[in-house]
Amino acid sequence: MDNAVETKNLTKYYDKLLAVDHINFETKKGEVFGFLGPNGAGKTTTIRMLTGISKPTEGTATVMGYDIQRQPIQAKEQMGIVPDVSNIYSELSAWDNLVFTGKLYDLPKELRDTKAEELLKMFGLYERRREKVQGFSRGMKRRICIAMALMNRSSIVFLDEPTSGLDVQSVLIIRETIRKLNQEGLTIFITTHNLEEASQMCDRVAIINRGKIAAIDTPEKLKRTIQGLQSVEVAFASTPVNALNDLKEFPDIREVVKEGDKFRLFTDDPSSVLASVWNYSQSNNLNLITVNTLGPSLEDVFVNLTGIRPTTEESKRSDKNK
Amino acid sequence: MIKNNVEDKVTISGSHSSRFMREIRVAWAIATKDMLTYYTKPAALMFGILFPFTLFLSFSIGRDIPLAQQIPMLIAQTLFFASSSIGPVVIPMERANQTFDRFLTAPVTLLSVLMGKTLAGIIYGVGISIIPVIVGVSFFGSQIVNVGALIACFALSSLAFSALGIMFASIPGQTPGQVMMPLNFVRIPLLFISGIFTPIGDLPTWMQVVSLLSPLTHTVELARYGLGTGGFFGPIINIAVLGGYAAVFVFMSVRFHILNQRKE
Repeated sequence: MDNAVETKNLTKYYDKLLAVDHINFETKKGEVFGFLGPNGAGKTTTIRMLTGISKPTEGTATVMGYDIQRQPIQAKEQMGIVPDVSNIYSELSAWDNLVFTGKLYDLPKELRDTKAEELLKMFGLYERRREKVQGFSRGMKRRICIAMALMNRSSIVFLDEPTSGLDVQSVLIIRETIRKLNQEGLTIFITTHNLEEASQMCDRVAIINRGKIAAIDTPEKLKRTIQGLQSVEVAFASTPVNALNDLKEFPDIREVVKEGDKFRLFTDDPSSVLASVWNYSQSNNLNLITVNTLGPSLEDVFVNLTGIRPTTEESKRSDKNK
Repeated sequence: MIKNNVEDKVTISGSHSSRFMREIRVAWAIATKDMLTYYTKPAALMFGILFPFTLFLSFSIGRDIPLAQQIPMLIAQTLFFASSSIGPVVIPMERANQTFDRFLTAPVTLLSVLMGKTLAGIIYGVGISIIPVIVGVSFFGSQIVNVGALIACFALSSLAFSALGIMFASIPGQTPGQVMMPLNFVRIPLLFISGIFTPIGDLPTWMQVVSLLSPLTHTVELARYGLGTGGFFGPIINIAVLGGYAAVFVFMSVRFHILNQRKE
């Protein structure tokens, strides 16, 4: 048995709404498996079925060889879960949260205490172990939640959006922890909106859209499937007000996207676009500070498959102004 | 760093007795956590303590009944309200902040999780209801004449009413109020048909039959037997009916929570 997770026709209906539609996939033991998809695609519903919170309407799922429906106790013993919301007991201290989790897994007292101390030190929270977690920041609560998922020395950890909305320090600690845990042999099943994060961390990713698996492969192989989609990234020292519209008028341009202070021009012919950019900068007396030609990113694959571009604050503001 | 040592791993694939003991330990851990976390929540204090004491005072003050005879009524009311209030406070709050999911993903059965919750209600109910016994014996001349009846009263009533609360807590909702409201539609009418305010012997026959069906009737009667003020149906019937209700409420609470999980 090389697979940590295996699903066969896994399906979930909420009344008449089909949330997950007969999905089939495998996660290999020891890999970091990314589960990507837009909001409402079925990511969290899939995790909830795999972890036993929710019962599938149809199909089966095994975790570390145990059927989550028929052998739920054995399957659950193998896993740690970090849900999309930090579900910790805010009335309890950091220490008590971890110890209680140890009790749920029936760990002996000595082992509970050792593990709690080890994990709190690992996540930089040992000094504040006696404080009630209701006073902790969002990032600290997230770290506690991950520490709780590691109390039972599981073989696989499910993380649902583990770094979403966190401060930079917490994001870095969490990513580093995930890497280390994976290096020690733990299988990681992670859902994320952060495609850059998925591209950097995951051995393989599955893209789910409208309840169906749209693609599943390594990030690099997925990028190769849309190799024809190339882009030129440009930034000017001072950006003209109507630059976005001007750039869209260039020949051979498929799409222009404003990304922060840069523009990304999607094209099949980067050399032609480079010439157009140069002419535009000269005729408007603009100083070019960045010019890059880029291959397709995981985000491009995602957009290509789902038709949804992940929104940034910048693009939201731009849309609002329009 | 975390080690996944095989020798570290606690497996549950042991004998039935070790598996059973494991479930007991986890249920106790859940109960103690609930005690620490939720006993002092405003909803628990209001519906579990304030409500029965206020009801008792509003119906007893000014009535020409010796206080010693009213103590069993207070015991029954506190057992009824306090035991049945913990589940409806704890479970919706845990559903709201998703901590209830922790139990669903833990390697224990749903029965053990709900038994832990029920145990928290039992301890809360017994802990509060023992106060009227101590006050009655110490200050108002009440006498414990039948310890067995009193123990049966506390044990069976707290179990049945705590399980009743857990059963109602399966109603989807994320605030205690969403569960308390339908629960009170059941709890408050029971007060009037259970011989608390009017002795069962004074009721018309058809009302006596209705009282027989109320679990609260049998709590009041067992408390009265315990403190020597007598009852109507007899302790055997009281114990049998309360035991039956306890079993039905436990069974129904598990069934309803399983149904909920299917809808999740």
